[in-house]
Amino acid sequence: MTAPTAPNTLTERYIQEVVRRIPADQRDDVADELRATIADTVEARGGEAAERAVITEMGDPIRLAAQYRDRPLALIGPDFYPAYIRLLKMLMTVVLPIVVVVVVAVDAFDDNNIGHLIGTGIGAVLSVGAQMFAWLTVVFALLDRVKRHEDVRKSVEWTPDTLPPVRKPDKGGPAAFAAIVWYAFLAGAIVWQHLAEPWRPEFDGLTYDGGVEVLNPSLWSNWIWPILAGLAAMAVLEGIRIGQRGWTMGLVIAYAVAEAVFALPLAALFYNQRILNPSFLSDINRDWTTPDAFYTVAAVIVIAISVTETYKRFKAVAGK
Amino acid sequence: MGTDETILNLAQELRRGTVVLACLALLDEPQYGYALLETLNGAGITVDGNTLYPLLRRLEKQGLLISEWNTEESRPRKFYRASEEGSRVRDGLTREWHDLAASIARITTETT
Repeated sequence: MTAPTAPNTLTERYIQEVVRRIPADQRDDVADELRATIADTVEARGGEAAERAVITEMGDPIRLAAQYRDRPLALIGPDFYPAYIRLLKMLMTVVLPIVVVVVVAVDAFDDNNIGHLIGTGIGAVLSVGAQMFAWLTVVFALLDRVKRHEDVRKSVEWTPDTLPPVRKPDKGGPAAFAAIVWYAFLAGAIVWQHLAEPWRPEFDGLTYDGGVEVLNPSLWSNWIWPILAGLAAMAVLEGIRIGQRGWTMGLVIAYAVAEAVFALPLAALFYNQRILNPSFLSDINRDWTTPDAFYTVAAVIVIAISVTETYKRFKAVAGK
Repeated sequence: MGTDETILNLAQELRRGTVVLACLALLDEPQYGYALLETLNGAGITVDGNTLYPLLRRLEKQGLLISEWNTEESRPRKFYRASEEGSRVRDGLTREWHDLAASIARITTETT
């Protein structure tokens, strides 16, 4: 019934756009039926503009084709939407930060420029985030079309057990976040001054070409590691605390250990006057000698802050 | 949104399922798409062609309608009529419809 080449009428152009979006075995039949129906309607209306009006009323060919295919006009239909959103949220809030931290850490090994590292971090957030979003969406759009519904949906199925507990007001959240930023800054500064050797000592009024570290370089073969590990552990624990919206006794004990791992070596290094790089020290001090009291006071301050911070967290648990 | 518009939108939801019942009822006699559309609209069941024509094919795919091309007239047309299964479904839906109408009638008289 279909002519080899249909005349280039508005009706034929419309039909072509509809049927090319439906399964091949139904195309001719739908085309013939649409042709008859449009002709019937145009005939009943009469008038020159009837064809255009009738086709306008039939609406967007993509929409009509979707009706024929009995498929909703949605990239990800209601069956898959909850699972999609749940996975997307998990990828963006858990997987993406981990990947970005790893990428930046790897980059830090062969590049010591802070600006560059920040650039790498932002780039990783954008590109990895976009990739995750795109691939997840593609996979779900395909699944929605293949309709292997049950297995996938059940795997991320909602049950009453997955409901999060009612949120307690979390007044300490911003402070915990600030603490993480502070630990990251401290650790970043320690690593940076080691890699960038930022201090430029002067000799006889001339700036020396290469730089030196501020902290004692020999620390990198021993005591800097517990300090960095303690900082990292404290940051992780503060992160868990944000997730849980509060401290628990176990968490605070772990925090106390991490704080000790960080603060005791640091205080000892101050007290033994081994914390700073001798060449840095001699450059800023010149003829002057740092009094012993400076180191003792610094060591006491480190211990005092650590004890206060730990005590505050114990009190937060006890006061609940 | 005004009251009239709200009523119009909700009424559309109410009517959505009735088109299937009306089609099954009217297609005791074979009928082609455009004529069925006219009959439905004439009977007060408002439906657009771009909804009705795909719907007829879906009902056919479900085995509720049977189709046949009629090439005797000036223009070849596809005629649909209810299958035996379609008739049974129509009877069941009709019962549902009456039950629903009775329930709504009861509720609305109680509250007014």
